Amino acid sequence: MNAAGAIATGPGLLSWILFLPFAGSVLMLLIPKDRPALARTVAFVFALGAFAMSIPLLTGFHTSAAMQFVESRPWIPDFGIGYRLGVDGISLFLVLLTTFLMPIVILSSWRAVTDRVRAFHGMLLLLEVGMIGAFIALDLFLFYIFWELMLIPMYVLIGVWGGPRRIYAAVKFILYTIVGSLLMLVAILALYFIHHAQTGVYTFDLLALQSTVLAYRQQMWLFAAFALAFAIKVPLWPFHTWLPDAHVEAPTAGSVILAGVLLKLGTYGFLRFAIPFFPDAALRFQPLLVSLAVIGIIYGALVAMVQDDVKKLVAYSSVSHLGYVMLGLFSFNMEAFSGALYQMLNHGLSTGALFLLVGIIYERRHTRMISDFGGIATRVPLFAAAFILVALSSIGLPGLNGFIGEFLVLTGAFGAHRAAAILACTGVVLGAAYMLWLTQRFLFGKIRHDENRSLTDLSGREGLLLAPILLLIVYMGVQPRVFLDRMQPALEAALARVQLAQAQPERDPASPPLYVAVPGEGEAR
Amino acid sequence: MSAITYADLDALRPFLMLAGGGVLLVLADTILGRRRQISWCVPTLVLLAAAIITIVREPEPGAVLSRLVNFDPFSRFVGLLVCASAALSVLLSESYLRRTGRYRGEYHALLLFSASGMILFSTATEMLTLFLGLELMSIPVYILSGFHRTDVRSGEAALKYFLLGAFSSAILLLGIAFLYGATGTTDLPSALRGGPAAPAMLPLARIGCVLLLAGFLFKIASVPFHMWTPDVYEGAPTTVTAFMATAVKAAAFAALLRVLSMRDSGVLASLPLGKLFWWLAVLTMTVGNLAALTQSNVKRMLAYSSIAHAGYLLVGVSVYTASGDPETLSAILYYLLAYTFMTIGAFAIVVAFGERGNEHLEMGDYGGLGWRYPAAGIAMSLFMISLSGIPPTAGFFGKYAIFRNAVGHGATGLVVIAVLNSALSVYYYLKMMVTLYMRPGTVRVQASRGSLASAVVVICALAVLWAGFGPDGGRIPGVPALLHWASASVLVAR
Amino acid sequence: MTSTGSLLWLIPLAPLVGAIVNGAIALATSHRERAVGRGIVGAIGCLAPSIAFVATVASFVQLRALPVDARSLTQHLFSWIAAGRLHVDAGLLFDPLSCAMLLFVTGIGALIHFYSLGYMAHERGVARYFAYLNLFTFAMVILVLGDGLLPMFVGWEGVGLCSYLLIGFWFTDEEKAIAGNKAFIVNRIGDFGFLLGIFLIFWSIVPSGRTGLTYREIAAAAAHGAFSPGLLTAACLLLFMGATGKSAQLPLYVWLPDAMAGPTPVSALIHAATMVTSGIYMVCRLSFLFVAAPVALTVVAIVGAATAFFAATIGLAQNDIKKILAYSTVSQLGYMFLGCGVGAFSAGMFHVVTHAFFKACLFLGAGSVIHALSGEQDIRRMGGLLKRIPVTGYTFLAAWLAIAGIVPFAGFFSKDEILWQAFSRPNEVLPWLPRVLWAVGFVTAGITALYMTRLIALVFLGKPRLTKEAENHLHESPASMTVPLIVLAAGSLVVGFLGVPDFLVRGGDRFGAWLVPVLASAAGGAAETAAPHGASLEWGLMLASLGIAIAGILAGLLLYVRFPEVPGRIAARAGGLYRAVVNKYWVDEAYRAVVIRPIQVGARAFLWKGIDVRGIDFIVNELGFASRMGSSVVRIAQTGAVQLYAAVLLIGVVVLLWVMR
Repeated sequence: MNAAGAIATGPGLLSWILFLPFAGSVLMLLIPKDRPALARTVAFVFALGAFAMSIPLLTGFHTSAAMQFVESRPWIPDFGIGYRLGVDGISLFLVLLTTFLMPIVILSSWRAVTDRVRAFHGMLLLLEVGMIGAFIALDLFLFYIFWELMLIPMYVLIGVWGGPRRIYAAVKFILYTIVGSLLMLVAILALYFIHHAQTGVYTFDLLALQSTVLAYRQQMWLFAAFALAFAIKVPLWPFHTWLPDAHVEAPTAGSVILAGVLLKLGTYGFLRFAIPFFPDAALRFQPLLVSLAVIGIIYGALVAMVQDDVKKLVAYSSVSHLGYVMLGLFSFNMEAFSGALYQMLNHGLSTGALFLLVGIIYERRHTRMISDFGGIATRVPLFAAAFILVALSSIGLPGLNGFIGEFLVLTGAFGAHRAAAILACTGVVLGAAYMLWLTQRFLFGKIRHDENRSLTDLSGREGLLLAPILLLIVYMGVQPRVFLDRMQPALEAALARVQLAQAQPERDPASPPLYVAVPGEGEAR
Repeated sequence: MSAITYADLDALRPFLMLAGGGVLLVLADTILGRRRQISWCVPTLVLLAAAIITIVREPEPGAVLSRLVNFDPFSRFVGLLVCASAALSVLLSESYLRRTGRYRGEYHALLLFSASGMILFSTATEMLTLFLGLELMSIPVYILSGFHRTDVRSGEAALKYFLLGAFSSAILLLGIAFLYGATGTTDLPSALRGGPAAPAMLPLARIGCVLLLAGFLFKIASVPFHMWTPDVYEGAPTTVTAFMATAVKAAAFAALLRVLSMRDSGVLASLPLGKLFWWLAVLTMTVGNLAALTQSNVKRMLAYSSIAHAGYLLVGVSVYTASGDPETLSAILYYLLAYTFMTIGAFAIVVAFGERGNEHLEMGDYGGLGWRYPAAGIAMSLFMISLSGIPPTAGFFGKYAIFRNAVGHGATGLVVIAVLNSALSVYYYLKMMVTLYMRPGTVRVQASRGSLASAVVVICALAVLWAGFGPDGGRIPGVPALLHWASASVLVAR
Repeated sequence: MTSTGSLLWLIPLAPLVGAIVNGAIALATSHRERAVGRGIVGAIGCLAPSIAFVATVASFVQLRALPVDARSLTQHLFSWIAAGRLHVDAGLLFDPLSCAMLLFVTGIGALIHFYSLGYMAHERGVARYFAYLNLFTFAMVILVLGDGLLPMFVGWEGVGLCSYLLIGFWFTDEEKAIAGNKAFIVNRIGDFGFLLGIFLIFWSIVPSGRTGLTYREIAAAAAHGAFSPGLLTAACLLLFMGATGKSAQLPLYVWLPDAMAGPTPVSALIHAATMVTSGIYMVCRLSFLFVAAPVALTVVAIVGAATAFFAATIGLAQNDIKKILAYSTVSQLGYMFLGCGVGAFSAGMFHVVTHAFFKACLFLGAGSVIHALSGEQDIRRMGGLLKRIPVTGYTFLAAWLAIAGIVPFAGFFSKDEILWQAFSRPNEVLPWLPRVLWAVGFVTAGITALYMTRLIALVFLGKPRLTKEAENHLHESPASMTVPLIVLAAGSLVVGFLGVPDFLVRGGDRFGAWLVPVLASAAGGAAETAAPHGASLEWGLMLASLGIAIAGILAGLLLYVRFPEVPGRIAARAGGLYRAVVNKYWVDEAYRAVVIRPIQVGARAFLWKGIDVRGIDFIVNELGFASRMGSSVVRIAQTGAVQLYAAVLLIGVVVLLWVMR
């Protein structure tokens, strides 16, 4: 993976992809207050621009494990902090997912957000910067900066444009996340020093740090810290309770981004850092994390089944779906790995689309209670069709994207730990149960509320913003190789580290245990 | 004691400049009387001049006033911080004093005196000089905190601060007495390093040291010597509070560290300082954060937060006492830098939105302010984010620098406690953001037009941002340059 | 070995295109009050399966031309999934088995599309209807034609989806929507097993490198002994679990009767002729695995027999014409599994084919009756219709004789073959089993004849008991409906002759012979076991089953035509037993009480309100509360009293001195 060593000159593609949304968010400050339409348009254009910029990533990507489109220039040399960017098969599609969803999200809030339009879009674009940055950062410090950079905009989005209990939700969200990420910062520092102790070099360079030799106990501690931060983000049961609140209170755009991309950063973190950096620890923690994942799958599905609020239902379904991803990540074989990464994209699309649909109907009826609907399929057939397609994708119907991920994950998991896979398989049934039950209560039957008789079907704009997602849902189900092939090498590289650990555990007992200071040990040194 | 040489005077120039400036201001004020008032430019210029001289003059450590003081790069850094803080609070005070009808020349004079005292305090390597510096620093601040003669709270604050301050000074003096008694010298290095001639005297010397430290801890508002902070900070005129919260702390930390730099042998070496500061750090940050958690008065909240930040700084101190790593000192300096700007910035917002008769100290008064005054809102959020240590801000980088050192020296446990604390602090700092943006527009304040306060806000905001992530680009020195500077500012221990 | 089928790609493509076009039309016109472009929609809708049928026939001809041992056409469409060691291609496999299945799937499918033209004539969502129906044809084709477990699974779930959509076609009726859900979810329970089965097979093959889980690969692996016996049994049982879901066997049959909520042509096509038989198809497909797992086969046989009997008894007491047919379908499917279970896969398949004809005919006939009576489904309000709607009537009679198993109608040959195989094939797991299986099947044959006769008697014979408005516009159905009926009736009469037992006519079992290359034969096939008993025994059994069929019919006629009051008395006499049967043994109620309610209540009360709200969130919020408490604690001292501060300061110094001593 030393292709990253190459120094790019001048701002590269990735920098531009980062810069565009940032520029957009800054521009929001300059737009006059009384020109909301202009603000929307500018934001949309910049988001679209970022997406256009990210297309070459896909076309120019050559299938290999190497980091590509690498940029690397010193930033704070004394601390070995560099501005290092790059994508590989793991981050490529996550970046694309982000840039793909963002214009759609902006389009979706065209009518929904009418007050403080500039600030809203400024925050959205800032959020995009953070998310993309976190995906493409090849420097742990930089990664941390971007990781934290996402917090404030999301916090504001929920807190300002959210529902009645928005402040509680926002604070809950940020406190949950920050506890994890601050501990991760400590772990990052520890890793950084261990690396220095071994090589005499201070650097946060991902690819350099990966070669750090860690003793068993060190791995345990560091993994625990990283895992906590990521598990909260995923969210892994039982760290999930911030999610339903955040989703219910957040505005549609917030929910879509939250479900579509933000949660992926947790699983991405596992795949990019926690697992390849600390393979022994990952193996050690495997039983725990797999059990939590399986609990999440079943628990999320069961609780989703009994929700009365559509958004809450979808939120819990996310817990279930990301349980699959975690299960896949900790099955440690290619099938499961590929499935997990694929499932990340699926969830981003299908759950994102679900939130968009819920938002669309919310704009008309200003309620999310399932009992307030029923029978609307006759009034809004196009909406209903889209809804059903998305629902089918999220319950993993073969031929749609959901199936590929789910099947690969379960296949891999079955090879790794049978019992867990069998339990997880029940999710296949439960998933169908809650989704179809929702669909039936939501769309079918007779219209019980007169407000619903006057519902209008999808507008042109809404159709336009849903169409790309729906097409992708089908395409990813029929032509998964387009994505899978590009993922394989990078995943294999990540997996190789774990398999090495599997092959020869306790490789390096020599290096010292992680030093944890207790009172008084200060002057012992 | 030899005679004062020209070299001494040359070295002392910044100090003399500030002190002299103070004297001049007093004279001028009395001459001009009430008729004409001295513009804020004068003290600012004085401070600027002092700062420039401090920068240009290469310090030659240890050669001054037959070693009463020690002008080393470290003290230079601190000196500049003090000047900056003082200058900013001068700018702040302009509109503030007019508003409160308390515009007096003494104000600036006292500010300058105090600043000069700080320089002395942070450079002294001799006990009496140290005490002198302490008093020269403190007494003007006592007066300043009572500057609202008519305002009861202000007077009360001044009184409290004075009483407790005198109390702590006495303790410090007592410590000096013990040390002198035990060692027979008032020269700090020889007293601390050399230690008492007779082993029997060692306990006395140790008691002396502890009392000395207690004096410092009072000034940096470390638990359990912190209790005066909220009341005084709240009561004192906001501009003074800003000055106290930053400059005094900086000077006190500098003096403390200078003493601690002599811990490698002799008396201090015989004390379990690592343990002591470990506990002080934990207590201070925890108490500070917990107390701030439910504080609805902005000034009190910032007061508690300043205690918490003293705690984070103490993390650095404990690491330094344990390791003696100069890098730790530079981390502490960086933190002080960040802290100075974000704190003054926050106070500046408060000043900017205060009005005659009502200073608007309740958070509720700021409800929805962010929408009415976008710039101010963004700035305040920036300061809050920085105070809570979230990137990309100076506050984060300062914390990062200290934690980095701590982890590097194996104090991971302490750092874990520290980060949990800052997680806690996020709650109340962002509560400010909640008021600014998420509460219905109950905003009851309006910006005093065109005041210098807004200039201060802008300066601080830019500083906070730039010291947070600014790369070295062309002319403007970014984070790396600042780091270089901080790590170049080594404390030369004698 | 295998040559590529030139036209195979067309078979799935045609219906797919039809589905897409009709779907587009449906969406485009979804806001019109009345359906537009009926003609085009219908034309496309019917053309699609017809093309598929023609293509199938063409491929069949091509297949016939090949030497027996080389009879398989394949076509590789594109590479589908490639991850790790799983490399799945989208490929088609056209061999005698899929050929046999496909011929009637597309053929009968096409017929039913035509029938729908008339039946759905007055429907608004006709475009949507044909879109679903074409989509179903597509999925079914994939299920049958797909080369490998995953393509089959795609079709498997696809047909499930279409069944869901079509059952809930009239979704404004909540009942129907719920029935659709039930069908899908119960099927998913079966698929749970199917998936696990696939995983087991995958992980047993993988050690020998990457695989696409095609039938050939699995067979090869099995030949090399990749599967340990225990594992094989497990895999087969899991796969069979999937089959019980799709083919409505015990205990997962509950969705099929409710599925009758869909339009009747759908019941005919999906829930009688084609989809529900895919379970049997799957078992036959993987016969080479099942034969190696005798325990699994035994389970298949037992479940089949049990279901056959169980459902037949329920069929005795139902009054909804479609419900009766539904239970009879369940029962007949049981027969098919019985056949497969005893290792006579071709017998099972043969019954699949014959059943497809007569059951489709029965359902379409029922549809025609309902159509004629403008929606009436209760047989107690019918009667004497034979003269009123003769075409429907007589075709129905033909199908009736077929299912009852009267020579020479189709059902006779297939059912008799199954019974004979059940009797004659030894079972090394439970030696006494064959006799029992045969007995059960035998009795069930009687019951079948009885309840079908009851149906005939109450609907077509006796005196009319029609409601007034039904009486008024009572009319024979249009040609688009009657022609398919006639074709199917003819089919139910003749297809039986494809499988005339060899002992009657040498080489008479052309169907079995056709399938020989694909179907594995269990240890001790009928041939050698037949020898000891000799043809005489086979004759005897054949006559016996014919006899009980006739007995059943006579009993039916006596009870429901000659002495109509008797059944009531019997019912009263039987008491509890009768009530049990009428209420379908309260199985649905049991499931609701034992499975569904507990899950829902537990999820809400325990998981959500319990763990989430009162557990985790409680702790989280308590932490917040605790720190606020801590806050007030540390601020207690902040009284503002300077004396206190001084005191604390002093104490602080003392403490400091003490700790530093």
